[in-house]
Amino acid sequence: MKEVTRKIYYLFSPWLRIFHWIMVVCILTLFVTGLLITNPWFIFAVDPTYSGMMVDNIRNIHFLAAYIFSASFILRIYGFIVNPGDRLFSHVWKGYFYRNVVDVMLHYMFLKHEHASYLRNPLARCSYTFLYVLVFIEMLTGFAIYYMTNINGIGGILFGWVIPLLGGEYMAHLIHHYVAWGILLFAFGHVYMVIRAEFMEGESEVSSMFAGSKILAHEPRDAGHLDGTLK
Amino acid sequence: MDKRESMWEYYLRKGMSRRSFLKGCVALTSIMGLSTDMVSKVVEAAEKKPLPVVVWIHGHECTGCDESFIRSGAPLASDLVLNEIALEYDHLLSAACGAPFEAHLEETIQKYKGQYILAVEGAVCTKDNGVYCMSGGHTFTHLLKHAASNALAIIAYGSCAAYGGIQAAKPNPTGSSGIGSFVGRSPIINVPGCPPIPEVMTGVIMHLALFNKVPSLDHDGRPKQFYGNRIHDTCYRRPFFDAGMFAEHFDDAGAKAGWCLYKLGCRGPETYNSCGNLRWFQGMSYPIQSGAPCIGCSSAHFWDEDPLTARMPDYGPFGNVDKIGAVAAAVTAVGVMAHGAMSIVQKNQRDKIEAKKHGEQVNK
Repeated sequence: MKEVTRKIYYLFSPWLRIFHWIMVVCILTLFVTGLLITNPWFIFAVDPTYSGMMVDNIRNIHFLAAYIFSASFILRIYGFIVNPGDRLFSHVWKGYFYRNVVDVMLHYMFLKHEHASYLRNPLARCSYTFLYVLVFIEMLTGFAIYYMTNINGIGGILFGWVIPLLGGEYMAHLIHHYVAWGILLFAFGHVYMVIRAEFMEGESEVSSMFAGSKILAHEPRDAGHLDGTLK
Repeated sequence: MDKRESMWEYYLRKGMSRRSFLKGCVALTSIMGLSTDMVSKVVEAAEKKPLPVVVWIHGHECTGCDESFIRSGAPLASDLVLNEIALEYDHLLSAACGAPFEAHLEETIQKYKGQYILAVEGAVCTKDNGVYCMSGGHTFTHLLKHAASNALAIIAYGSCAAYGGIQAAKPNPTGSSGIGSFVGRSPIINVPGCPPIPEVMTGVIMHLALFNKVPSLDHDGRPKQFYGNRIHDTCYRRPFFDAGMFAEHFDDAGAKAGWCLYKLGCRGPETYNSCGNLRWFQGMSYPIQSGAPCIGCSSAHFWDEDPLTARMPDYGPFGNVDKIGAVAAAVTAVGVMAHGAMSIVQKNQRDKIEAKKHGEQVNK
């Protein structure tokens, strides 16, 4: 039997991992409740008194999940500060970043047999930036719609400018809804790509989001990021 | 005409009692959306402040706002026009016409420079130098610019003056828009609605008249006391929404029973107006009460947001958003599976090549 030596690369702090799984639960909750609010597709009751306030409760769950999700960004930011491994932002200002992106893309388009190993796949990093943009749009439009019930409050002051910018509240609803679907499509691709990396490329993409570490037999090209030897 | 009367002086001249004057002040306080401890201030203002001079001009519109205005119940529109403001010029309500009438407008503007309130109804159309809307031998743009530059404050009555209205609907052949960006000066008070609620129209002008002060405005320039609430949040059908009881068609049992009109395209959840609490014509009714979903007539661009009887997911520039989303999700899922299958094929090839290489090395 061939002996394989593996090395442990500690990447994700508990803060980032907790944030990640809060995000998973919240996005699923927000998506399902959001669809139900947009189109409450069945009659929930025949009498308001004994209805259990179904739509009202669905809305409250939506708002609660939105608040939890927003608050969980505190964990993400804290992890970013204390742990270099959490700093996933694409190094768009470095030349090697683009060479690596091309390298990975050629492999995913089946033009190359494999791509170099990365602790943090440059293409995946791009997609996470894209996800944060989508989430940011959802927060802006969502809170703008939500806080318009009290424009004098702190929320109204913080988000009140969004509605006139979009040309009306209905437009804000539309954008909120389309972007929600965009996030779901991202999730499809993301789940596929991490499973593929875990089981076909031996990259511990799934396990590291539970354990925090990647245990790899090979030396990733960007391993130097963690100890600061690669700038 | 040189010394302008106050409201109280007007009452005295007409031989009306102090009691009826005070009653009028109490009514005014409540319709302006002020709390009752403001009554003394209102009385003081009505005793001392001269009646405000108002110039009321009309642009690109249907004069439906006037139709609404003359139905104001508290205060009566006739009271307002005759006793509470000095209405010097009005395209629609004035009996006079022709050259003397236009001369009077010029006279008023010169005499009360910086003191009169300008009420504007209707959009301003700017295309082809504004020839599509003429008034007194001039384009409306000319009149508006002239009247607005000398006004104390400007009230934009109706969705046309505030946002452009029906004539600004796609493709907007006359280049119509709200007066705000055209006039380019403040204060402009937006009183949107197609038409606005009569009591809102009179309430806003009385606030200006009595306090000489613009009411507190929101981010869109609308008076907070009338446009601070969503119709959805003040709607008497809201319990049906919260309970999940919806009319699905205009003729089903739910519609008959007065359930929520959300699924029939009601724009109440995005519309800010006083329909839900003030209602129309002395609280008689409002669209939702009569079984018609709100069309959001006090929102900008409502005219282009057809069909008005559909909300998301059916409504939208590209069709049913949830169907689009579901199709996109299905395509993504199929794509992912195809990519996965091809990746497996590729991996097997790669493994074979590596195994071959490895075998060669071993043989050497």
